[in-house]
Amino acid sequence: MNEIGNKSPSVMLDHVSKWYGEVIGLNDISLAIEGGVTGILGPNGAGKSTLFKILMGRLKPSQGAVRLFGIDPWKSTTPYRRIGYVSESERMYDWMTSLDFISTLARLHGMSREEAVERSKHVLNFVGLGDVYYKEIGKYSKGMRQRVKIAHALVHNPDLIILDEPLHGCDPIARTSIMNVIRELGLQGKTVLVSSHILEEIERITEQIVILNNGKLLAIGNLHAIRDLLDQHPHRILINCENPRDLAGLFIASEPVYGVRFPDKGQLEIHTNNLSAAHDALPSLIVKSNQKITSIENPDDNLDSLIGYLIGGINHG
Amino acid sequence: MDKKGLSLKESVWSQLDRKAGAIIELTIRQLRHRLSTWVVLGVGVLIMLLLLAFYVDSVRDGFESIDNDGDSVDEDEDGYPLGQEIKYGHSDFDSSQYPGVGKYIPVGEIDGNDLLRNTSGNYSWFGQGILDPVWINMNYTGNEWDPIINWQDEINNCPEGEAFTDWALEYGSACIYGNGKYVFAGEFQASGSVEVPMGYFLAWGIYTDSFYVEPDPISMYIDEDDINWDGILLQSSQGFDDDGDCTRENWSEDSDWIYVDDSGEVFDNDKNGNGIICDVQWILDGEGNVIEINKDSNVDEDPIDEKFMGESSHRTFIIGVGKMAFVILLGLFLPLFLSLGLIRDETENGTLHYLLSKPIHRGEFIIYRLLGYLTVTGTYILFLSLFMGLFSSLLGPGENIIRLSDMPIWLGIGFATILVLCAYGALFNTLALISPKYGIYVCISIGVWEFVMGILTIANPNWTISAISINHWALQIIDSIVLIAWPDTLQLQQMSLAFNLETGLDIFWKPPAHTLGTSNPLVSIFISIIMLSLFTVSMLGIGQSIFKNREIM
Repeated sequence: MNEIGNKSPSVMLDHVSKWYGEVIGLNDISLAIEGGVTGILGPNGAGKSTLFKILMGRLKPSQGAVRLFGIDPWKSTTPYRRIGYVSESERMYDWMTSLDFISTLARLHGMSREEAVERSKHVLNFVGLGDVYYKEIGKYSKGMRQRVKIAHALVHNPDLIILDEPLHGCDPIARTSIMNVIRELGLQGKTVLVSSHILEEIERITEQIVILNNGKLLAIGNLHAIRDLLDQHPHRILINCENPRDLAGLFIASEPVYGVRFPDKGQLEIHTNNLSAAHDALPSLIVKSNQKITSIENPDDNLDSLIGYLIGGINHG
Repeated sequence: MDKKGLSLKESVWSQLDRKAGAIIELTIRQLRHRLSTWVVLGVGVLIMLLLLAFYVDSVRDGFESIDNDGDSVDEDEDGYPLGQEIKYGHSDFDSSQYPGVGKYIPVGEIDGNDLLRNTSGNYSWFGQGILDPVWINMNYTGNEWDPIINWQDEINNCPEGEAFTDWALEYGSACIYGNGKYVFAGEFQASGSVEVPMGYFLAWGIYTDSFYVEPDPISMYIDEDDINWDGILLQSSQGFDDDGDCTRENWSEDSDWIYVDDSGEVFDNDKNGNGIICDVQWILDGEGNVIEINKDSNVDEDPIDEKFMGESSHRTFIIGVGKMAFVILLGLFLPLFLSLGLIRDETENGTLHYLLSKPIHRGEFIIYRLLGYLTVTGTYILFLSLFMGLFSSLLGPGENIIRLSDMPIWLGIGFATILVLCAYGALFNTLALISPKYGIYVCISIGVWEFVMGILTIANPNWTISAISINHWALQIIDSIVLIAWPDTLQLQQMSLAFNLETGLDIFWKPPAHTLGTSNPLVSIFISIIMLSLFTVSMLGIGQSIFKNREIM
């Protein structure tokens, strides 16, 4: 069984669709994922959770085939021996300590009690909860709870780890720590699927992404390649400064900039169709202007614009 | 491969065992952290304590001897209880009739047409006539007839110059007729000669001396005629008249007083017609069970309460508690509170996915959850039944400090209740799976049905409709175990019916109904276990197939 499983990709979806009555959750998705961290990007309601629930055998695909290590997860629980899953649900048994919680769940993998406790301590240390695992989960912060969930998914040393919005609601410190954990898992050679609706989050973790929108597979591949495509398209840069009009004069003379706007007092909006070139030019222009710049934002550098661009691209294509 | 192959069997089993252990343990810990668990378990303990208090207060109290046949009363207040008057053949409604009282022996009489109309002597007289006395007993109290003439207060002169035949006297009076003679009408004692006019009647006789009979103490008539049965039926004729109110050893032969026996019928010392006076006839069926008890009048009517009533009431208490409190109440409420949410709550709380993302089949998962629930409720029931068993057997009647014969019954009650917990647990869990929202209402409706069917089963297990319930089969197990642990319960029940003794045993216990005509309680236990297990397994199966095909959001 294991041998056969090893030959098949960790995750394989073949023309998978899922309808909830009239509503489409997933629309004809075909994917194969093997190794490394893959970001599943998509706005809320794009079908990320539906995809994960289908992978975890919670939902039955209305059409198409799903295979985890070559096995249909709706029919068999065998793949779960090699899978760790972090769901989007926030609820846990708050009355348990994290060590208790994780070791209890570890025993469901057939570990002995001692083995389970040992492994649980190991993974709790790994996610950075080594000093609090005798505390009840109810007393944990959101970031700590999120890490308990991740630890529970790692306790049996799985080959495939699925994380549904693991950074959701975490403070920056927890966020960084969780991102490090995910990157580390990728480096260990595991297949990691991590979903998010925030581009920047995924960007800090991985380059390999899948973009979902309205249940459809919009893009799959390297994030930088996709971003490079995006760079060639109209983009805005928002600069907060003392005297926007002086700065605007400098920018308008610069090659990649084709327009400026003053959306608010002390704000300059630059329009460009080569984002990286514009960013390259930025530092020297700012020095030249001799102005105090409070912030530089890229309002179009987010998932929505990316998706908007991708949809546009598809439409044009 | 070989290495793996060798240890495969062991590792599969030990892994299964570990998974089961983990889920069972988790379930127990979850139940332990819920307030409703403690409330329902606490209420159960409270009910049992109340029942024990009731037992101490009324059942145990009831073992004090009571006069079951009512012959310790003394209606006429002559100092002799009814039982003693019955033995001597006297009425308890006439204070002049009592053991040892003088008896009237008739000597002669003159009726209206006899030719000879004179007689003399010292007698008790009754009738009308003219007395020429030598001596009159002014304190005469004999009362063979009434009324007695009061010689002191009611003596007047008779109407003068007229013959006695021309007028009449009222009964109970006399008048001076002249020449020291009296005309009388009534009863009296006197010595002398008597003349009876034509058309009048006179009878005379002798009253024997009364003798003193020591009145029996009332307590003698409270536990006076124990049921004579040693537990082994070798002959159909069993009882005999311990207290002598059937054989009537002191019966006055000439008493013509007809009275009723303890069952309100005309006294008959061979009422069962088996040719043996004052005995009890036990009629058995083919299997040696007593199906009827026929007794002669006043035999075996007032058993020793400690022995019979005490034993019967004690058994009634145990059977009643086992059926009502354990099977019907706890058997229903524990699953209603503790099994309904085994899967449903995990879904609602959003914690189910932790468990389902592990390599466990959903079907397996249901079984382990139910096992966790059963560990909690089963242990509770077992302890509670042993606790009740210990206390009631310490308090119960009998010579031993602990009634060991009660223990199998309590274990049987525990066992039957646990089977009910399995069946309801599987049923309620499945219903909550089918409809997480409305399942509870279906469960409550089923609970009402089960309660009614439980009561019906207690009333009459042979009503077919009651067999369409879980309670029915569990109650059958208790009925059957009672018959195994206390084989004489059937006899006790027949005795209470035959001797009109209200023990309640016939209300709470009936012989098991499903013995396939063998009357063997083991058959009934076997069938009941099969029925309950089949139900549990099929509910589990339905629950599993629903859960397996359910999409979990």
